[in-house]
Amino acid sequence: MSALIIFGLLIALMLTGMPISISLGLTVLTFLFTMTQVPIDTVALKLFTGIEKFEIMAIPFFILAGNFLTHGGVAKRMINFATAMVGHWHGGLGLAGVIACALFAAVSGSSPATVVAIGSVILPAMVNQGFPKQFGAGVITTSGALGILIPPSIVMVMYAVATSGMVVTGPDGQPVSSASVGELFMAGVVPGLMLAGFLAFTTWNRARKFGYPRLEKASLRQRWTAFREAAWGLMLIVVVIGGIYAGIFTPTEAAAMSAVYAFFISVFVYKDLTLRDVPRVLLSSANMSAMLLYIITNAVLFSFLMAHEGIPQALGEWMVNAGLSWWMFLIIVNILLLAAGNFMEPSSIVLIMAPILFPVAVRLGIDPVHFGIMIVVNMEVGMCHPPVGLNLYVASGITKMGITELTVAVWPWLLTMLAFLVLVTYVPAISLALPNLLGM
Amino acid sequence: MLRILDRAEEVLIAALIATATVLIFVSVTHRFTLGFVADFVGFFRGHGMTGAAAAAKSLYTTLRGINLVWAQELCIILFVWMAKFGAAYGVRTGIHVGIDVLINRLDAPKRRFFILLGLGAGALFTGIIATLGANFVLHMYHASSTSPDLELPMWLVYLAIPMGSSLMCFRFLQVAFGFARTGELPHHDHGHVDGVDTENEGIDAEGDVLLHSPLTPRDLVEKPKDN
Repeated sequence: MSALIIFGLLIALMLTGMPISISLGLTVLTFLFTMTQVPIDTVALKLFTGIEKFEIMAIPFFILAGNFLTHGGVAKRMINFATAMVGHWHGGLGLAGVIACALFAAVSGSSPATVVAIGSVILPAMVNQGFPKQFGAGVITTSGALGILIPPSIVMVMYAVATSGMVVTGPDGQPVSSASVGELFMAGVVPGLMLAGFLAFTTWNRARKFGYPRLEKASLRQRWTAFREAAWGLMLIVVVIGGIYAGIFTPTEAAAMSAVYAFFISVFVYKDLTLRDVPRVLLSSANMSAMLLYIITNAVLFSFLMAHEGIPQALGEWMVNAGLSWWMFLIIVNILLLAAGNFMEPSSIVLIMAPILFPVAVRLGIDPVHFGIMIVVNMEVGMCHPPVGLNLYVASGITKMGITELTVAVWPWLLTMLAFLVLVTYVPAISLALPNLLGM
Repeated sequence: MLRILDRAEEVLIAALIATATVLIFVSVTHRFTLGFVADFVGFFRGHGMTGAAAAAKSLYTTLRGINLVWAQELCIILFVWMAKFGAAYGVRTGIHVGIDVLINRLDAPKRRFFILLGLGAGALFTGIIATLGANFVLHMYHASSTSPDLELPMWLVYLAIPMGSSLMCFRFLQVAFGFARTGELPHHDHGHVDGVDTENEGIDAEGDVLLHSPLTPRDLVEKPKDN
């Protein structure tokens, strides 16, 4: 009953259009004031302790690094490198766009940042070369979603934060702890590369079918030059992923190092950014970070309320008793997350849903890392369809196309993503291969 | 007066994120350097280079004397303060996300009502939190507890809650008042990632954007079939 009241109130408040963070907070306060005996002072304490985990600090650092890179001409050089490598294949620049998105995704934790950084450079070039606008928009809108699957990923950090500290009893009665940021980052590599491959294949196939332009094959010297120019940006992949795997940094430290490194190459190496621009980058990063941290703060409050009311445990019991198998549960989760993706952006969905669904998943024998990757792929799909697909809005800003037109443009790639979602859901080895190989 | 507050808010949150980043960078670099210097000491000793070993040992001792154990704790405190004040700045810039799919379909008077309701709810929530936070800080002040590493008084650390929430409450009221008067809301375009000027680089931009690319189109002469 309390679950119905809590969720009814939350949905009602959200539908009035008020910020999600405020909806979460007011739901908690209303419930605590009227229906429980929880000392209200704990609310004030939770508002601080909710975000005093060091792992959470990776979020502002990755946002800052992403902003420096978006400003700093890294994308342009990555595109040149990708074009030199695959520009002569069917789809030419479109294929280069997918690869450039994958490369940029490996240094930025955000999908919209990937779409705008790559899209604003490559889309005009594609149109000038004779590609239909719809084709270019479809490629970049969906490939940009790789930003949250290929590590580093802000959404993965969100999932780790939302489930951190949870120790749930598995199907055999053994305790199962939540996934760490490092595990999730490693787990995202194989699915990320696979999805990039699938999207590239879709691009190549459509380009071949419709006879879209190709480029001259680049010489080895041209490829080497393009690689050398992009190398500073590509090194960031080594800094973050290599640093975490080698045990040199924690994910948060890796994020801070990447922010400083991104600042250094943008200002002093590529010189696309002046020192005078830095305060603006800092301010926009702080603004975005604060918004996410405020949602986290209130989501922690909300999780505290649900844990206090025993909602996740009760849900788990009910599903197990109902004889629900793990694969049926995953179908329900996918439908639920895809539906939520129609109305909310990924961070909010993960922070609200993960603490509820995670204990149930573990009870049914689903690996926390696999479950996290599945959620992230769901979020990717949500970013590419209306009404609130952020990638669509970014692409709309670049292409000056309407959302409806863009929705039609992305469908071949969106279907590819949905097929991949099914694959990642029911083949856990895709997510778990690398972490298992690395002994994580 | 408001302009000074706006500017102070911007400077504060930008300074907080910059300081935290530099702090962690310095902390990691310090830890790294210590490890490297220790390796050098061993290497020089192993190769009988006593002078170099002594110099490296001296550098190691100096670095070891710099205690940065508190860096992580300070970073967390800086970010919590940034989150609280940044959230208030976010109200002013309209960055806080909500589900506006339904209310955007309503006619103007109803939409206006729901927007004011949302802003009022924001002011109410942050006002309550500011009050609870102030109470909590008062308790902490009398309890006189300190943080583990920096040994800062905890009431000072937790002061971010009432101060940030009060400012946020003020911002909600400010935006609500502005909306009631002019019908305009601050709007952050989530479809725009700061840093790329998409206005000037629209899809119809002239010339090849990949200016430095040595690659040239192979079959532009063939008109591609339309999608």
